[in-house]
Amino acid sequence: MRLLSSALITLLALTKLSFASSNSVLVVLDPSLDREDYSIFFGGLEERGYNLTFRAPKDTSPAITNYGVPNYDHVILFAPDTKSYAQDITPQSLVGLLSENTNLLIALSPKQTPLTSLAAEFSLILPPPETPLISHHPARSEPPTTIPVPVSSSPILTPGIPPIWFTGASHALGSTPMLVPILRAPAESFAADPTSDADSDALVSASEKGGEGLWAGSQMGLVTGFQTNVNSRVVFAGGVNMFSDEYARKELPSGELPGNALFVTDVAAWVFQEKMKLKIDAVDHHRVGESEAPEKYTINDEIVYTAHISAYDSETSTWKPYSGIDDLQLEFTMLDPHIRTSLPPVPGSPGTYQVQFRAPDRHGVFKFVLNWKRKGYSYLESSTTVPVVPPRHDQYPRFLSAAWPYYAGAISTSVGFFLFSALWLAGDVKGERKKGSKAE
Amino acid sequence: MAGPKSSSKSSPTSSETSVAVSTLWKSYLDQTPDRLKFIDAFLAFIVLSGVLQFVYCVLVTNFPFNAFLAGFASSVGQFVLTASLRAQVNPENRSEFKEVSPERAFADFALGSIVLHFFVFNFLG
Amino acid sequence: MIWQFSWLLLAATAQAASLSLQSPRFTISASDATQLRSDTLSLTKKPEPLTLGATDTLKLTFQITESDEGKGVQPHQTFLRFYDKESGEEGIQPVRVTPGGKAKFELNMMRPPASIPPTTHNPLEVSLILGSFVHAPAQYDLFDLYIPASQTPAEHPDEASFHVLPTIKHTFRPEQKSPPQSISAVFAAAVLSPWLVLIGLWSKIGVRVPNLFSISIVPFTALLGAFEVLLVWYWVDLKLGQVLLYGGILTIPTVFAGKQALYATGEWRAGRK
Repeated sequence: MRLLSSALITLLALTKLSFASSNSVLVVLDPSLDREDYSIFFGGLEERGYNLTFRAPKDTSPAITNYGVPNYDHVILFAPDTKSYAQDITPQSLVGLLSENTNLLIALSPKQTPLTSLAAEFSLILPPPETPLISHHPARSEPPTTIPVPVSSSPILTPGIPPIWFTGASHALGSTPMLVPILRAPAESFAADPTSDADSDALVSASEKGGEGLWAGSQMGLVTGFQTNVNSRVVFAGGVNMFSDEYARKELPSGELPGNALFVTDVAAWVFQEKMKLKIDAVDHHRVGESEAPEKYTINDEIVYTAHISAYDSETSTWKPYSGIDDLQLEFTMLDPHIRTSLPPVPGSPGTYQVQFRAPDRHGVFKFVLNWKRKGYSYLESSTTVPVVPPRHDQYPRFLSAAWPYYAGAISTSVGFFLFSALWLAGDVKGERKKGSKAE
Repeated sequence: MAGPKSSSKSSPTSSETSVAVSTLWKSYLDQTPDRLKFIDAFLAFIVLSGVLQFVYCVLVTNFPFNAFLAGFASSVGQFVLTASLRAQVNPENRSEFKEVSPERAFADFALGSIVLHFFVFNFLG
Repeated sequence: MIWQFSWLLLAATAQAASLSLQSPRFTISASDATQLRSDTLSLTKKPEPLTLGATDTLKLTFQITESDEGKGVQPHQTFLRFYDKESGEEGIQPVRVTPGGKAKFELNMMRPPASIPPTTHNPLEVSLILGSFVHAPAQYDLFDLYIPASQTPAEHPDEASFHVLPTIKHTFRPEQKSPPQSISAVFAAAVLSPWLVLIGLWSKIGVRVPNLFSISIVPFTALLGAFEVLLVWYWVDLKLGQVLLYGGILTIPTVFAGKQALYATGEWRAGRK
């Protein structure tokens, strides 16, 4: 009986680790914020199998890295107003974490902190300090800095999320395509000092000054993600209040409940690599009709290239073959792509993408290059080098009818030589000198 | 005689050249040993064979080019080897080729020809 | 106390006077100040879309008041919003408002402000956003505006790799055309025709071969013939390694046979001399 119950408990404990592939999270929580105020968010993470460890920004332990090796799989930085951290948290060390495949979720604020310069490294342009986002629309009883923001559809978010409450700073997005916009500001919002109507002149002057102008309108971002070259993800959220219980429960001006809880769950799922995570299992290539990759190809060979791709399924914590990519492309490159063709999925074979093409009639060292990047999805990159050689002397088309005269000529010369040699050796030497014709 | 002399002097050189050519030809037929004429016939055969291949290449097509080169080179190379054999075997050139007996010349000719034919058939395709 | 205070606040916001737009007018004039179009804007219906050429100027005047008949006010936020629905590009332009609520905005296409977004041939939807700390906010759709298309903003160099790239097909060298087989056959026969010349010349010269089948030279002749056969076989079938091997093997008897044959011919030449 005891054995059964302990086995049952172990089983239950194991099932808790269902969603996360890697699940240790360090939450750096500013002492001014209370952990209980964010119980819906943190509780949701723990339910999905993450182990949360809490510390304050100024604590020296637990450290985020040990001699360069990260101690945790993910880090949440809810310290938007903190101006000084312990020694192990600096913008450089956070960027170092990302290079070591640790994902980050960072909350910003209108105040100027070390995180401001970190955000600038990711092409996010923050407004001047102490200019939070305010909006007078829609008319509501909350202060202008607490704004209901409609959520537009995005592959990262579940469809149909109601508007969410937001307080914090907006940011302008740079042009780098590695940025993944998740939530944009409403069109009527802008960043300003929230005092009185008399400051309207100051607003106009700020915009006329030139330079960055006014942070206003729906081009501004509120929650933006960034996927690095090593496929680690970081999300910058303009404020920490959207994660709080209070905002999750506050009624919208229209009367319905906001989508904060659902929104922050989706954002955390993306940052912590639960969804839209892909990898290339294997690639192989061979000539049509063969099954093994040859050591080298000859020009004009018909080549078959196959890629196997899987996606991570967070519900079962396994990798499953994924055939959902419909714009995968293959390049056959020697310095420049000589051939670029689409790599369609094979119907009936999940996760397999295959194409057949003819090798160019130039010889050299070529690469099969697979390079698929789309916003929000892991980057798929693969490069396989193969030599392509010109044909051997007996691989060219031979015995052509066009060359009959030349064959006749060559054979004729050979036969002539043989006949000449036979007659010469056998010949009458007497004929070498002409009778009475010695040159004098 | 003044008449024929003056007539030969005043007539254009075409008759002079034709006289020279026929004299040359007659002299060749009379004075060249039979063995050398035997080689010359073979040389003429090689030249004709090469020229006809060249005419085909120019008039019709030069594809496949490697076959043309191989066939043409076969003729040219064989011509060179045979001509050098004739030069070395000719009794009138004895002073030039004191160390090379006609037998040695023929051995060189045979070896060179075999090697030439090897390259020709390698390239013929 | 707190309870009463919050009631008051609620009442204040509920009965806050709303901002309202009075007498909006627009004028489009050309670079030489001739008026091209001028009208008042109706708040219920959008006018015909406005069009601005590259040298035209749009002037917009209006007044903000408290409710429809109230006094002029200067709200915190008076923004013009230029929005391209197709591309999603947007520009926000704050408008200067006097304390009396009068506002004037001028858009000179020869020196457009930085807030105008990049445009294509699609129209910009122009709307007015009014917001205030003490009044209820308001928003008005004014008109659609066509302005000359701008240069597309410079793309990040990596942007192209995030989309489908154009297909590249390799143009192969065209297959070489062969001439008709009959012509090749005719020329092949032509190339064989010098044989007739050779046989003719040789017969005219009179080839005397008393030693053709002499035992001294037959092996050498036969081996030379064997070499030629090996080479033709190489052309048809063999690989390089094989032909070199067989050739090497054939060389050994050929050397001996050659020595013997040439010794014999040398003897004949000397003997008969």
